Amino acid sequence: MRFAVTEDQRLLAGAVGEALAATCPPAAVREAGRDPAARRAAAWQALAEVGLLGALVPEEHGGLGLTIADTVLAYVETGRHAVPGPLVESAVAAPSLVGPDWLVKLAAGVATVSVAMPHLLDADLADLLVVRSGAAIVLAEPGEITLIPNVSIDATRRLFSAGPYRPGPPGRKTHGTEAAGGALASDTGIAGGFHEGFDRPVEHAFDQAFDRAALATAAQLIGLGRWLLDASVAHARRRRQFGAAVGSFQAVKHRLADVAIALEFAAPVVYRAAYALTHRTPTARRDVAAAKIAAGEAAGGAARGALQVHGAAGYTGELDLHLWLTRVWALRAAWGDESLHRARLRDALLGDSPVERLP
Amino acid sequence: MDLVFTERQRAFRAEVRDWLAAHVPPEPLPSMDTETGFERHREWERTLAGARLSAVSWPREHGGRDADLIDWLIFEEEYWSHGAPGRVSQNGVFLLGPTLMAHGTEEQKRRLLPRMARADDIWAQAWSEPEAGSDLAALRATATPDGDGWRLTGQKTWSSRAAHADWCFGLFRSDPGARRHRGLTYFLVPLTADGVTVRPIAQLDGEHGFADIFFDDVYAPAGQVLGEPGAGWRVAMATAGSERGITLRSPGRFMATSDRLLALARESDDQTLRDAAVRAWADADAYRLYAFHAAARAAGGAEPGPEASLTKVFWSELDLRMHEVALELLGPRVTAQWLDGFLFALAGPIYAGTNEIQRNIIAERVLGLPR
Ligand SMILES: Cc1cc2nc3c(=O)[nH]c(=O)nc-3n(C[C@H](O)[C@H](O)[C@H](O)COP(=O)(O)OP(=O)(O)OC[C@H]3O[C@@H](n4cnc5c(N)ncnc54)[C@H](O)[C@@H]3O)c2cc1C
Repeated sequence: MRFAVTEDQRLLAGAVGEALAATCPPAAVREAGRDPAARRAAAWQALAEVGLLGALVPEEHGGLGLTIADTVLAYVETGRHAVPGPLVESAVAAPSLVGPDWLVKLAAGVATVSVAMPHLLDADLADLLVVRSGAAIVLAEPGEITLIPNVSIDATRRLFSAGPYRPGPPGRKTHGTEAAGGALASDTGIAGGFHEGFDRPVEHAFDQAFDRAALATAAQLIGLGRWLLDASVAHARRRRQFGAAVGSFQAVKHRLADVAIALEFAAPVVYRAAYALTHRTPTARRDVAAAKIAAGEAAGGAARGALQVHGAAGYTGELDLHLWLTRVWALRAAWGDESLHRARLRDALLGDSPVERLP
Repeated sequence: MDLVFTERQRAFRAEVRDWLAAHVPPEPLPSMDTETGFERHREWERTLAGARLSAVSWPREHGGRDADLIDWLIFEEEYWSHGAPGRVSQNGVFLLGPTLMAHGTEEQKRRLLPRMARADDIWAQAWSEPEAGSDLAALRATATPDGDGWRLTGQKTWSSRAAHADWCFGLFRSDPGARRHRGLTYFLVPLTADGVTVRPIAQLDGEHGFADIFFDDVYAPAGQVLGEPGAGWRVAMATAGSERGITLRSPGRFMATSDRLLALARESDDQTLRDAAVRAWADADAYRLYAFHAAARAAGGAEPGPEASLTKVFWSELDLRMHEVALELLGPRVTAQWLDGFLFALAGPIYAGTNEIQRNIIAERVLGLPR
């Protein structure tokens, strides 16, 4: 029993942090909101080079074959740097959902994937769209699904709904089911629980993808929250009013102390969930739910606190702060909003079966 | 990252569990704030000590088991989930004991620790004074040199369990010229000493849970000074770290409460309260994880610092919230256990340094905001 960060986890996180410090400055995040192509800029290349994009892809397909627990701290770093693009979708969810040929591309860092959850994130730049339709997983290439734009609070994250599906010529298709065209949003009765080269039931695959992606998102929220706390402390030390640093006022201090407490107590919940998923414990789903809620609330508190402490400057688009704020708000709703995860927690804790603990 | 208890840890848990199942009194003991209740709790401490379970984290030579932090967390989980009695000896075992081991002389350790572990001596903390609560360094009680020893004069207040305790530990100003944190000395004083008067104070629940302690020219020989004369503040802060961190209020206590709260919530169809209970359970679970994480860091050599303040705010507010939810769930069916627990939980954000003070510490010493 040793609930500590391992050296390997720390090394990967360190490498990811360094890579992003060099390639993903706030200006790059800002640019991703302005220029759609910039969502997949230097940072993606850097993450491919340190291996994060293929970290969860099995070694036989060119990945690192790591576990979600191995990468959880690295995802905290991707949150701290607010890296744009469908990273969790491509590097965390997709490996559970696609077959070998796409796994190879994911591992090589040459493919981005958007997964309908229910919205398709950054589908306009994705090489592959993954949509669940009843008992099937549809792997569609750009152009095969009509994309209907949705609102998004975070300009760096473009969201779409899946419109009509028109598969390309069968010979050209690599994956997908023998589906007829039509709307995907509802249960279209697309046949088969498996698709080619894919050896797990679709239900399991989606559950696994969802839980892992929710966990990685929770880790990102911790990183975003820590960045926001650091930025708030720095601003509160610098900004002077009434002849004193605003950080000397107790209302400001106590607010930031509460942010620190929430983040400090949320992080181990996230690490535990990563462990639970990796070891497939019976509590895993509940533990992920607890992680997503704790991280979402802690980061949400950090965002509100940061905005208040920055005053009007924080409300402008001129500071970088807003990029982190909008990312927090977007991620709280991604991969299961807290309402969904609360329902899971309720079911696990208030149901008939005895409540197990981990550890 | 390894979340599997070792064979040895599981065996220890099983031993504690079996022992508690056989020994925890079936009926709750009378309140430790009454004379008979206090003595019943003392007997219970002796029963624990007989199985070397009264101070598991202490070294063997002093009556403990050399348990590391994880073993201690395991012990606490079992202890509270079995509904075992409150720890009348907690100020000695959890606060003074570790401080004595760090700062006491060999003679003091040999003389005081085994008696503490067996509850022959039950200790009260005598820090607060009428004019020195949060601002402890404003304390006025004095220590004046007298031959090889000292003469103590002044008033301490709100000293928990002092009404029936045997000894107290407290800070006195030994250098009248020094200010604030300097010139203080840490004393250990028997409450039976000549010149000591204890005046019990009724609490919210009507019982005499704490007391004033008056010192009127009380003689304290040199052997009753803990640490160097004049270095009392530094010694006292070691105690405060234990008090605010996980040692005074371990996760086990709140896990037990949150389990009982979930049981109430299962019977309710009030969705708001059901959610509140689920959330509280998850928070108690989060505290547990935090503690295991901290244990791993401590094993890696990390010293507990001002971070203890984060813990104190978290557990005290969680405890209060759990009892508030329980009271709402129960309404007129409220039980004595929940009611007593609620009144006790209300004090959590006040004692051991108020939560406002903890937030100041977090802001200034953890985050680095200006004073
Ligand atoms: C049940 C119980 C048991 C106790 N047991 C013991 C014991 O065994 N031994 C012992 O020595 N003491 C004990 N105490 C006393 C406890 O340590 C003090 O109550 C505590 O330190 C606060 O001091 P005070 O009550 O004088 O409040 P004050 O210091 O007068 O504070 C009053 C209010 O002002 C706030 N405040 C004060 N200063 C600041 C500041 N700088 N910034 C922001 N807010 C501030 C406080 O947070 C509080 O809300 C006990 C108290 C309780 C309730």
